[in-house]
Amino acid sequence: MSSQLILQTVVSGILVGGIYGLVALGLALAFGVLKVLNVAHGELVMLGGYATFFAFTYWGLDPFVAMPFVLAVMFGFGVILYLLLFRYVTRTEIQTRIKNSLLISFGLVLVLQAMAVRFFTADERTISTTYSLEALTIGTLRIPIVRLAGFVVAVVAALALEWMMSRTRFGRALRATSEDWTRAALTGIDVRRVYLVAFAISAALAGIAGSVVSLGYSVSPSIGLEWTLNALIVVVLAGLGSMRGIIAAGLFLGVVESLAGIWIGNQYREVTALVLFLVVLSFRPHGFFGRAYA
Amino acid sequence: MLRVEGLEVGYGDLQVVWGVSFQVPKDSIVAILGPNGAGKTTTLLALMGLLPVKAGSASFHGESVIGLQTHQMVERGLVMIPEERAAFASLTVEENLDLGSYTSRARSSRADTLDEVYETFPRLAERKTQLAGTLSGGERQMLAIGKALMARPELLILDEPSLGLAPIVVEQIFGVIREIRDRGVSVLMVEQHLEMALESADYAYILEMGSIATEGTGPDLEADSRVQEAYLSL
Repeated sequence: MSSQLILQTVVSGILVGGIYGLVALGLALAFGVLKVLNVAHGELVMLGGYATFFAFTYWGLDPFVAMPFVLAVMFGFGVILYLLLFRYVTRTEIQTRIKNSLLISFGLVLVLQAMAVRFFTADERTISTTYSLEALTIGTLRIPIVRLAGFVVAVVAALALEWMMSRTRFGRALRATSEDWTRAALTGIDVRRVYLVAFAISAALAGIAGSVVSLGYSVSPSIGLEWTLNALIVVVLAGLGSMRGIIAAGLFLGVVESLAGIWIGNQYREVTALVLFLVVLSFRPHGFFGRAYA
Repeated sequence: MLRVEGLEVGYGDLQVVWGVSFQVPKDSIVAILGPNGAGKTTTLLALMGLLPVKAGSASFHGESVIGLQTHQMVERGLVMIPEERAAFASLTVEENLDLGSYTSRARSSRADTLDEVYETFPRLAERKTQLAGTLSGGERQMLAIGKALMARPELLILDEPSLGLAPIVVEQIFGVIREIRDRGVSVLMVEQHLEMALESADYAYILEMGSIATEGTGPDLEADSRVQEAYLSL
Protein backbone atom coordinates (compact mmCIF):
# COMPACT_ATOMS: atom_id res chain seq x y z
CA MET A 1 0.00 0.00 0.00
CA SER A 2 1.50 3.27 -1.08
CA SER A 3 2.27 6.06 1.31
CA GLN A 4 0.49 8.38 -1.10
CA LEU A 5 -2.76 6.51 -0.61
CA ILE A 6 -2.31 6.59 3.14
CA LEU A 7 -1.63 10.33 3.10
CA GLN A 8 -4.64 10.95 0.86
CA THR A 9 -6.77 8.83 3.20
CA VAL A 10 -5.58 10.65 6.31
CA VAL A 11 -6.36 14.01 4.71
CA SER A 12 -9.86 12.92 3.68
CA GLY A 13 -10.32 11.58 7.19
CA ILE A 14 -9.37 14.92 8.70
CA LEU A 15 -11.70 16.82 6.36
CA VAL A 16 -14.72 14.67 7.25
CA GLY A 17 -13.58 14.55 10.89
CA GLY A 18 -14.01 18.30 11.20
CA ILE A 19 -17.69 17.85 10.41
CA TYR A 20 -17.95 14.98 12.91
CA GLY A 21 -16.56 17.40 15.46
CA LEU A 22 -19.04 20.13 14.53
CA VAL A 23 -22.03 17.78 14.72
CA ALA A 24 -20.76 16.41 18.03
CA LEU A 25 -20.37 19.93 19.45
CA GLY A 26 -24.08 20.60 18.98
CA LEU A 27 -25.03 17.28 20.51
CA ALA A 28 -22.69 17.86 23.45
CA LEU A 29 -24.02 21.38 24.01
CA ALA A 30 -27.61 20.17 24.37
CA PHE A 31 -26.53 17.25 26.51
CA GLY A 32 -24.18 19.25 28.69
CA VAL A 33 -26.51 22.16 29.37
CA LEU A 34 -30.02 20.65 29.22
CA LYS A 35 -29.06 17.04 30.06
CA VAL A 36 -31.13 16.17 27.01
CA LEU A 37 -29.82 13.46 24.69
CA ASN A 38 -31.20 14.44 21.31
CA VAL A 39 -30.84 11.44 19.00
CA ALA A 40 -32.61 13.49 16.32
CA HIS A 41 -29.54 15.71 16.10
CA GLY A 42 -28.53 13.93 12.87
CA GLU A 43 -31.95 14.73 11.41
CA LEU A 44 -31.27 18.40 12.10
CA VAL A 45 -28.08 17.99 10.06
CA MET A 46 -30.23 16.46 7.32
CA LEU A 47 -32.66 19.40 7.41
CA GLY A 48 -29.80 21.90 7.28
CA GLY A 49 -28.52 20.03 4.25
CA TYR A 50 -31.88 20.20 2.47
CA ALA A 51 -32.32 23.87 3.31
CA THR A 52 -28.98 24.61 1.66
CA PHE A 53 -29.77 22.33 -1.28
CA PHE A 54 -33.15 23.93 -2.00
CA ALA A 55 -31.84 27.44 -1.53
CA PHE A 56 -29.27 26.60 -4.18
CA THR A 57 -31.61 24.77 -6.58
CA TYR A 58 -34.59 27.11 -6.44
CA TRP A 59 -33.06 30.48 -5.69
CA GLY A 60 -29.61 29.88 -7.06
CA LEU A 61 -28.16 30.89 -3.74
CA ASP A 62 -24.51 29.95 -3.36
CA PRO A 63 -24.17 27.49 -0.43
CA PHE A 64 -21.70 29.71 1.39
CA VAL A 65 -24.02 32.69 1.04
CA ALA A 66 -26.91 30.51 2.20
CA MET A 67 -25.12 29.40 5.37
CA PRO A 68 -26.02 32.40 7.55
CA PHE A 69 -29.67 31.96 6.53
CA VAL A 70 -29.55 28.23 7.23
CA LEU A 71 -28.02 29.06 10.59
CA ALA A 72 -30.85 31.46 11.40
CA VAL A 73 -33.59 29.14 10.15
CA MET A 74 -32.24 26.19 12.12
CA PHE A 75 -31.84 28.37 15.21
CA GLY A 76 -35.52 29.21 14.86
CA PHE A 77 -36.39 25.57 14.30
CA GLY A 78 -34.46 24.75 17.47
CA VAL A 79 -36.54 27.31 19.37
CA ILE A 80 -39.74 25.68 18.07
CA LEU A 81 -38.57 22.16 18.95
CA TYR A 82 -37.62 23.29 22.43
CA LEU A 83 -40.92 25.03 23.08
CA LEU A 84 -42.94 22.18 21.58
CA LEU A 85 -41.09 19.18 23.03
CA PHE A 86 -37.92 19.51 25.03
CA ARG A 87 -39.21 22.19 27.38
CA TYR A 88 -41.31 19.52 29.06
CA VAL A 89 -38.35 17.18 29.39
CA THR A 90 -36.30 19.80 31.21
CA ARG A 91 -38.97 20.17 33.88
CA THR A 92 -38.15 16.73 35.24
CA GLU A 93 -35.28 15.61 37.44
CA ILE A 94 -31.88 15.32 35.76
CA GLN A 95 -31.93 11.50 35.87
CA THR A 96 -35.33 11.33 34.18
CA ARG A 97 -34.35 13.77 31.46
CA ILE A 98 -32.02 11.42 29.61
CA LYS A 99 -34.50 8.59 29.14
CA ASN A 100 -37.43 10.92 28.43
CA SER A 101 -35.40 12.84 25.89
CA LEU A 102 -34.33 9.58 24.23
CA LEU A 103 -37.96 8.56 23.77
CA ILE A 104 -39.07 11.94 22.52
CA SER A 105 -36.16 12.52 20.20
CA PHE A 106 -36.44 9.00 18.79
CA GLY A 107 -40.02 9.82 17.89
CA LEU A 108 -38.77 13.03 16.35
CA VAL A 109 -36.30 11.01 14.23
CA LEU A 110 -39.18 9.00 12.76
CA VAL A 111 -41.34 12.06 12.12
CA LEU A 112 -38.58 14.13 10.51
CA GLN A 113 -37.41 11.22 8.35
CA ALA A 114 -40.91 10.40 7.16
CA MET A 115 -41.62 14.04 6.41
CA ALA A 116 -38.35 14.37 4.52
CA VAL A 117 -39.23 11.36 2.34
CA ARG A 118 -42.70 12.76 1.74
CA PHE A 119 -41.66 16.29 0.86
CA PHE A 120 -38.09 15.96 -0.43
CA THR A 121 -38.29 12.37 -1.87
CA ALA A 122 -35.80 9.68 -0.98
CA ASP A 123 -33.33 10.75 -3.70
CA GLU A 124 -29.79 11.45 -2.71
CA ARG A 125 -28.95 15.11 -3.32
CA THR A 126 -25.66 16.88 -3.77
CA ILE A 127 -25.05 20.50 -4.62
CA SER A 128 -23.02 20.92 -7.80
CA THR A 129 -21.67 24.42 -8.08
CA THR A 130 -19.26 25.67 -10.72
CA TYR A 131 -16.39 25.09 -8.30
CA SER A 132 -17.57 21.70 -7.02
CA LEU A 133 -15.03 19.71 -9.01
CA GLU A 134 -12.07 21.95 -8.35
CA ALA A 135 -9.32 20.69 -6.15
CA LEU A 136 -6.14 21.83 -4.53
CA THR A 137 -3.27 19.69 -5.69
CA ILE A 138 -0.10 19.36 -3.63
CA GLY A 139 2.20 16.83 -5.28
CA THR A 140 0.03 13.75 -5.59
CA LEU A 141 -2.31 14.89 -2.85
CA ARG A 142 -5.69 16.06 -4.09
CA ILE A 143 -7.95 18.12 -1.81
CA PRO A 144 -11.43 18.95 -3.13
CA ILE A 145 -12.06 22.67 -2.60
CA VAL A 146 -15.60 22.25 -1.28
CA ARG A 147 -14.50 19.74 1.36
CA LEU A 148 -11.63 21.95 2.43
CA ALA A 149 -13.95 24.96 2.68
CA GLY A 150 -16.45 22.86 4.61
CA PHE A 151 -13.73 21.90 7.02
CA VAL A 152 -12.80 25.54 7.50
CA VAL A 153 -16.44 26.42 8.19
CA ALA A 154 -16.63 23.64 10.80
CA VAL A 155 -13.50 24.85 12.57
CA VAL A 156 -14.61 28.49 12.51
CA ALA A 157 -18.02 27.54 13.97
CA ALA A 158 -16.29 25.55 16.70
CA LEU A 159 -13.95 28.42 17.55
CA ALA A 160 -16.86 30.87 17.64
CA LEU A 161 -18.70 28.62 20.08
CA GLU A 162 -15.63 28.27 22.24
CA TRP A 163 -15.14 32.02 22.27
CA MET A 164 -18.74 32.51 23.33
CA MET A 165 -18.50 29.93 26.09
CA SER A 166 -15.29 31.25 27.61
CA ARG A 167 -15.42 34.98 26.96
CA THR A 168 -19.02 36.11 27.17
CA ARG A 169 -21.22 36.41 30.21
CA PHE A 170 -23.91 34.31 28.58
CA GLY A 171 -21.31 31.63 27.90
CA ARG A 172 -20.45 31.57 31.58
CA ALA A 173 -24.11 31.29 32.40
CA LEU A 174 -24.25 28.29 30.05
CA ARG A 175 -21.31 26.66 31.79
CA ALA A 176 -22.76 27.37 35.21
CA THR A 177 -26.12 25.92 34.20
CA SER A 178 -24.50 22.77 32.86
CA GLU A 179 -22.65 22.32 36.14
CA ASP A 180 -25.71 22.74 38.37
CA TRP A 181 -28.96 24.33 37.22
CA THR A 182 -30.24 24.91 40.76
CA ARG A 183 -27.21 26.93 41.75
CA ALA A 184 -27.38 28.73 38.40
CA ALA A 185 -30.96 29.77 39.16
CA LEU A 186 -29.91 30.93 42.62
CA THR A 187 -27.23 33.03 40.94
CA GLY A 188 -29.99 34.90 39.13
CA ILE A 189 -29.72 33.10 35.81
CA ASP A 190 -32.99 32.51 33.98
CA VAL A 191 -32.33 28.80 33.48
CA ARG A 192 -35.24 28.23 31.10
CA ARG A 193 -33.97 30.94 28.81
CA VAL A 194 -30.48 29.43 28.91
CA TYR A 195 -32.01 26.07 27.96
CA LEU A 196 -33.91 27.60 25.08
CA VAL A 197 -30.90 29.41 23.64
CA ALA A 198 -28.53 26.46 24.17
CA PHE A 199 -30.89 24.13 22.34
CA ALA A 200 -31.35 26.63 19.52
CA ILE A 201 -27.57 27.02 19.16
CA SER A 202 -27.25 23.24 19.11
CA ALA A 203 -29.76 23.07 16.23
CA ALA A 204 -28.03 25.94 14.41
CA LEU A 205 -24.69 24.10 14.61
CA ALA A 206 -26.37 21.00 13.17
CA GLY A 207 -27.78 23.18 10.39
CA ILE A 208 -24.35 24.55 9.48
CA ALA A 209 -22.97 21.03 9.49
CA GLY A 210 -25.81 20.10 7.13
CA SER A 211 -24.83 22.89 4.73
CA VAL A 212 -21.30 21.56 4.64
CA VAL A 213 -22.51 17.98 4.13
CA SER A 214 -24.80 18.92 1.23
CA LEU A 215 -21.90 20.64 -0.48
CA GLY A 216 -18.99 18.24 -0.10
CA TYR A 217 -20.92 15.03 0.51
CA SER A 218 -24.59 14.17 0.00
CA VAL A 219 -27.99 14.48 1.66
CA SER A 220 -30.90 12.04 1.78
CA PRO A 221 -33.69 11.57 4.34
CA SER A 222 -31.90 8.68 6.03
CA ILE A 223 -28.46 10.21 6.68
CA GLY A 224 -29.35 11.34 10.21
CA LEU A 225 -28.66 8.17 12.14
CA GLU A 226 -25.12 7.88 10.87
CA TRP A 227 -24.33 11.46 11.93
CA THR A 228 -25.92 11.01 15.33
CA LEU A 229 -23.96 7.80 15.91
CA ASN A 230 -20.70 9.39 14.88
CA ALA A 231 -21.40 12.40 17.07
CA LEU A 232 -22.13 10.13 20.03
CA ILE A 233 -18.88 8.29 19.46
CA VAL A 234 -16.98 11.58 19.28
CA VAL A 235 -18.57 12.85 22.50
CA VAL A 236 -17.69 9.64 24.30
CA LEU A 237 -14.13 9.77 22.94
CA ALA A 238 -13.64 13.37 24.03
CA GLY A 239 -15.69 13.46 27.18
CA LEU A 240 -17.89 16.40 28.09
CA GLY A 241 -16.51 19.73 29.07
CA SER A 242 -13.81 20.35 26.46
CA MET A 243 -14.77 21.85 23.12
CA ARG A 244 -11.32 21.55 21.61
CA GLY A 245 -11.32 17.97 22.81
CA ILE A 246 -14.48 17.31 20.85
CA ILE A 247 -13.03 18.74 17.64
CA ALA A 248 -9.83 16.73 18.18
CA ALA A 249 -11.84 13.57 18.77
CA GLY A 250 -13.85 14.30 15.62
CA LEU A 251 -10.66 14.50 13.57
CA PHE A 252 -9.38 11.32 15.21
CA LEU A 253 -12.56 9.43 14.40
CA GLY A 254 -12.50 10.69 10.82
CA VAL A 255 -8.94 9.47 10.32
CA VAL A 256 -9.52 6.11 12.03
CA GLU A 257 -12.63 5.45 9.93
CA SER A 258 -10.88 6.38 6.70
CA LEU A 259 -7.85 4.24 7.47
CA ALA A 260 -10.11 1.34 8.45
CA GLY A 261 -11.73 1.81 5.05
CA ILE A 262 -8.51 1.08 3.16
CA TRP A 263 -6.86 -1.31 5.62
CA ILE A 264 -9.77 -3.48 6.72
CA GLY A 265 -12.35 -2.82 4.04
CA ASN A 266 -14.87 -0.11 3.36
CA GLN A 267 -17.75 -2.08 4.87
CA TYR A 268 -15.96 -2.10 8.24
CA ARG A 269 -15.65 1.67 8.66
CA GLU A 270 -18.61 2.02 10.96
CA VAL A 271 -17.87 -1.20 12.79
CA THR A 272 -14.40 0.12 13.56
CA ALA A 273 -15.91 3.29 14.95
CA LEU A 274 -18.30 1.35 17.16
CA VAL A 275 -15.50 -0.89 18.43
CA LEU A 276 -13.54 2.23 19.28
CA PHE A 277 -16.62 3.50 21.12
CA LEU A 278 -16.86 0.35 23.25
CA VAL A 279 -13.16 0.28 24.03
CA VAL A 280 -13.16 3.90 25.21
CA LEU A 281 -16.33 3.38 27.25
CA SER A 282 -14.77 0.37 28.98
CA PHE A 283 -11.38 1.83 29.75
CA ARG A 284 -11.88 5.57 29.89
CA PRO A 285 -15.53 6.37 30.52
CA HIS A 286 -14.79 10.08 31.03
CA GLY A 287 -13.18 10.28 27.60
CA PHE A 288 -9.76 11.63 26.80
CA PHE A 289 -10.38 15.28 27.58
CA GLY A 290 -13.41 15.13 29.85
CA ARG A 291 -13.41 16.22 33.43
CA ALA A 292 -14.64 13.69 35.92
CA TYR A 293 -17.12 15.79 37.86
CA ALA A 294 -19.55 13.94 40.05
CA MET B 1 -39.00 43.10 55.45
CA LEU B 2 -39.63 39.40 54.75
CA ARG B 3 -42.77 37.89 56.21
CA VAL B 4 -43.61 34.22 55.77
CA GLU B 5 -46.90 32.86 57.01
CA GLY B 6 -48.29 29.33 57.24
CA LEU B 7 -45.87 27.93 54.67
CA GLU B 8 -46.55 24.30 53.71
CA VAL B 9 -44.17 22.43 51.44
CA GLY B 10 -43.73 18.85 50.35
CA TYR B 11 -42.17 16.54 47.82
CA GLY B 12 -45.08 14.90 45.98
CA ASP B 13 -47.26 13.23 48.61
CA LEU B 14 -44.71 13.67 51.35
CA GLN B 15 -45.29 16.88 53.27
CA VAL B 16 -42.22 18.17 55.05
CA VAL B 17 -43.07 21.68 56.21
CA TRP B 18 -46.32 22.21 58.11
CA GLY B 19 -47.38 25.81 58.42
CA VAL B 20 -44.14 27.60 59.19
CA SER B 21 -44.29 31.34 59.95
CA PHE B 22 -41.39 33.69 60.55
CA GLN B 23 -40.21 37.15 59.69
CA VAL B 24 -36.96 38.92 59.05
CA PRO B 25 -36.91 42.59 60.08
CA LYS B 26 -34.54 45.03 58.40
CA ASP B 27 -30.88 45.05 59.48
CA SER B 28 -31.06 41.90 61.51
CA ILE B 29 -29.79 38.34 61.53
CA VAL B 30 -32.55 35.79 61.90
CA ALA B 31 -31.73 32.12 62.35
CA ILE B 32 -33.86 29.06 61.76
CA LEU B 33 -32.40 26.30 63.85
CA GLY B 34 -33.16 22.69 64.31
CA PRO B 35 -32.03 19.12 63.82
CA ASN B 36 -31.36 17.44 60.51
CA GLY B 37 -34.56 16.65 58.66
CA ALA B 38 -36.63 19.31 60.41
CA GLY B 39 -37.44 20.97 57.09
CA LYS B 40 -35.07 23.93 57.26
CA THR B 41 -33.57 23.61 53.79
CA THR B 42 -36.94 22.69 52.33
CA THR B 43 -38.38 25.93 53.70
CA LEU B 44 -35.63 27.98 52.06
CA LEU B 45 -35.84 26.18 48.71
CA ALA B 46 -39.61 26.70 48.60
CA LEU B 47 -39.20 30.37 49.47
CA MET B 48 -36.73 30.74 46.58
CA GLY B 49 -39.16 29.13 44.13
CA LEU B 50 -37.24 25.89 43.78
CA LEU B 51 -39.96 23.74 45.37
CA PRO B 52 -43.71 24.12 44.94
CA VAL B 53 -45.52 25.79 47.84
CA LYS B 54 -48.72 23.97 48.88
CA ALA B 55 -50.11 26.70 51.08
CA GLY B 56 -49.12 29.87 52.88
CA SER B 57 -47.82 33.24 51.90
CA ALA B 58 -44.52 35.04 51.70
CA SER B 59 -44.07 38.73 51.14
CA PHE B 60 -40.99 40.87 50.68
CA HIS B 61 -41.45 44.60 51.30
CA GLY B 62 -45.18 43.88 51.43
CA GLU B 63 -45.29 42.30 47.97
CA SER B 64 -46.09 38.62 47.56
CA VAL B 65 -43.16 36.59 46.25
CA ILE B 66 -44.90 33.21 46.06
CA GLY B 67 -44.90 31.86 42.51
CA LEU B 68 -41.96 33.94 41.33
CA GLN B 69 -39.19 32.11 39.53
CA THR B 70 -35.86 31.76 41.29
CA HIS B 71 -34.01 34.27 39.12
CA GLN B 72 -36.78 36.80 39.72
CA MET B 73 -36.25 36.44 43.47
CA VAL B 74 -32.56 37.19 42.98
CA GLU B 75 -33.55 40.19 40.85
CA ARG B 76 -35.57 41.48 43.82
CA GLY B 77 -32.63 41.20 46.16
CA LEU B 78 -33.30 37.88 47.88
CA VAL B 79 -30.09 35.96 47.38
CA MET B 80 -29.58 32.47 48.72
CA ILE B 81 -26.31 30.63 49.24
CA PRO B 82 -27.11 26.93 49.01
CA GLU B 83 -25.54 24.35 51.27
CA GLU B 84 -22.00 23.32 50.24
CA ARG B 85 -20.14 24.15 47.04
CA ALA B 86 -22.26 27.17 46.17
CA ALA B 87 -19.68 28.35 43.63
CA PHE B 88 -19.17 26.71 40.26
CA ALA B 89 -16.19 24.37 40.38
CA SER B 90 -15.42 24.60 36.66
CA LEU B 91 -15.25 28.42 36.67
CA THR B 92 -12.44 30.53 38.05
CA VAL B 93 -12.85 32.59 41.21
CA GLU B 94 -13.24 35.80 39.21
CA GLU B 95 -15.65 34.22 36.71
CA ASN B 96 -17.76 33.07 39.65
CA LEU B 97 -17.83 36.54 41.16
CA ASP B 98 -18.62 38.09 37.79
CA LEU B 99 -21.50 35.67 37.33
CA GLY B 100 -22.70 36.70 40.79
CA SER B 101 -23.71 40.05 39.30
CA TYR B 102 -25.70 38.46 36.47
CA THR B 103 -28.95 40.20 37.35
CA SER B 104 -29.69 43.64 35.98
CA ARG B 105 -30.06 45.01 39.52
CA ALA B 106 -26.40 44.16 40.20
CA ARG B 107 -24.79 44.60 36.81
CA SER B 108 -24.27 48.35 36.80
CA SER B 109 -22.42 48.44 40.13
CA ARG B 110 -20.39 45.36 39.29
CA ALA B 111 -16.91 46.88 39.43
CA ASP B 112 -17.48 48.63 42.77
CA THR B 113 -18.99 45.55 44.36
CA LEU B 114 -16.06 43.46 43.14
CA ASP B 115 -13.63 45.83 44.88
CA GLU B 116 -15.65 45.60 48.09
CA VAL B 117 -15.69 41.81 47.95
CA TYR B 118 -11.93 41.66 47.41
CA GLU B 119 -11.53 44.03 50.33
CA THR B 120 -13.63 41.79 52.57
CA PHE B 121 -11.90 38.64 51.34
CA PRO B 122 -8.31 39.45 50.28
CA ARG B 123 -7.74 35.73 49.86
CA LEU B 124 -10.15 35.68 46.92
CA ALA B 125 -8.18 38.43 45.18
CA GLU B 126 -5.05 36.31 45.50
CA ARG B 127 -6.83 33.35 43.90
CA LYS B 128 -8.69 35.22 41.13
CA THR B 129 -7.58 33.00 38.29
CA GLN B 130 -7.80 29.71 40.15
CA LEU B 131 -10.66 27.28 39.43
CA ALA B 132 -13.18 27.32 42.27
CA GLY B 133 -13.01 23.54 42.43
CA THR B 134 -9.43 23.75 43.70
CA LEU B 135 -10.17 26.00 46.72
CA SER B 136 -10.19 24.84 50.33
CA GLY B 137 -13.48 24.50 52.20
CA GLY B 138 -13.16 27.86 53.93
CA GLU B 139 -12.13 29.66 50.76
CA ARG B 140 -15.04 28.12 48.92
CA GLN B 141 -17.46 29.41 51.56
CA MET B 142 -15.86 32.88 51.26
CA LEU B 143 -16.29 32.68 47.49
CA ALA B 144 -19.92 31.63 47.97
CA ILE B 145 -20.56 34.64 50.18
CA GLY B 146 -18.59 36.94 47.88
CA LYS B 147 -20.55 35.70 44.87
CA ALA B 148 -23.84 36.31 46.73
CA LEU B 149 -22.73 39.84 47.67
CA MET B 150 -22.04 40.50 44.00
CA ALA B 151 -25.79 40.14 43.44
CA ARG B 152 -26.35 43.21 45.69
CA PRO B 153 -28.68 41.41 48.10
CA GLU B 154 -31.11 43.13 50.43
CA LEU B 155 -31.69 39.85 52.18
CA LEU B 156 -28.95 37.24 52.22
CA ILE B 157 -30.13 33.70 52.87
CA LEU B 158 -27.57 31.16 54.03
CA ASP B 159 -28.08 27.43 54.26
CA GLU B 160 -25.77 25.88 56.87
CA PRO B 161 -22.83 28.27 56.48
CA SER B 162 -20.81 26.32 59.05
CA LEU B 163 -21.20 22.93 57.41
CA GLY B 164 -17.96 21.00 57.07
CA LEU B 165 -15.76 23.88 58.20
CA ALA B 166 -13.12 23.95 60.96
CA PRO B 167 -14.25 25.81 64.14
CA ILE B 168 -11.85 28.69 63.54
CA VAL B 169 -13.13 29.16 60.01
CA VAL B 170 -16.71 29.01 61.28
CA GLU B 171 -15.85 31.82 63.69
CA GLN B 172 -14.50 33.89 60.78
CA ILE B 173 -17.53 33.22 58.61
CA PHE B 174 -19.92 34.28 61.37
CA GLY B 175 -17.81 37.40 61.86
CA VAL B 176 -18.28 38.22 58.18
CA ILE B 177 -22.02 37.55 58.44
CA ARG B 178 -22.33 40.08 61.29
CA GLU B 179 -20.29 42.55 59.28
CA ILE B 180 -22.64 42.11 56.35
CA ARG B 181 -25.62 42.83 58.62
CA ASP B 182 -23.91 45.96 59.94
CA ARG B 183 -23.56 47.13 56.35
CA GLY B 184 -27.33 47.02 55.97
CA VAL B 185 -27.99 43.62 54.47
CA SER B 186 -30.44 41.51 56.43
CA VAL B 187 -29.55 37.88 56.95
CA LEU B 188 -31.67 34.76 57.20
CA MET B 189 -29.74 31.64 58.03
CA VAL B 190 -30.45 28.04 58.67
CA GLU B 191 -28.13 26.21 61.04
CA GLN B 192 -27.62 22.97 62.89
CA HIS B 193 -24.74 24.50 64.82
CA LEU B 194 -26.92 26.08 67.54
CA GLU B 195 -24.52 27.76 69.91
CA MET B 196 -22.63 29.64 67.24
CA ALA B 197 -25.81 30.73 65.49
CA LEU B 198 -27.56 31.89 68.69
CA GLU B 199 -24.56 34.06 69.51
CA SER B 200 -24.85 35.93 66.21
CA ALA B 201 -28.58 35.92 65.63
CA ASP B 202 -30.82 38.79 66.71
CA TYR B 203 -33.79 36.48 66.66
CA ALA B 204 -34.16 32.74 66.17
CA TYR B 205 -36.80 30.14 65.43
CA ILE B 206 -36.46 26.49 66.31
CA LEU B 207 -37.91 24.17 63.74
CA GLU B 208 -38.88 20.61 64.65
CA MET B 209 -40.65 18.09 62.45
CA GLY B 210 -41.66 20.75 59.99
CA SER B 211 -43.13 23.33 62.36
CA ILE B 212 -41.86 26.06 64.66
CA ALA B 213 -41.35 24.64 68.16
CA THR B 214 -40.23 27.83 69.84
CA GLU B 215 -38.79 31.25 69.04
CA GLY B 216 -37.06 34.15 70.72
CA THR B 217 -33.98 36.31 70.85
CA GLY B 218 -30.57 34.63 71.04
CA PRO B 219 -30.06 35.05 74.81
CA ASP B 220 -33.68 34.05 75.55
CA LEU B 221 -33.32 30.80 73.71
CA GLU B 222 -29.93 30.10 75.24
CA ALA B 223 -31.51 30.46 78.66
CA ASP B 224 -34.54 28.36 77.73
CA SER B 225 -34.26 25.08 79.57
CA ARG B 226 -36.06 23.11 76.91
CA VAL B 227 -33.70 24.31 74.21
CA GLN B 228 -30.74 23.62 76.45
CA GLU B 229 -31.91 20.12 77.14
CA ALA B 230 -32.67 19.32 73.55
CA TYR B 231 -29.65 20.78 71.80
CA LEU B 232 -27.07 22.64 73.78
CA SER B 233 -26.16 19.83 76.15
CA LEU B 234 -25.16 17.62 73.24
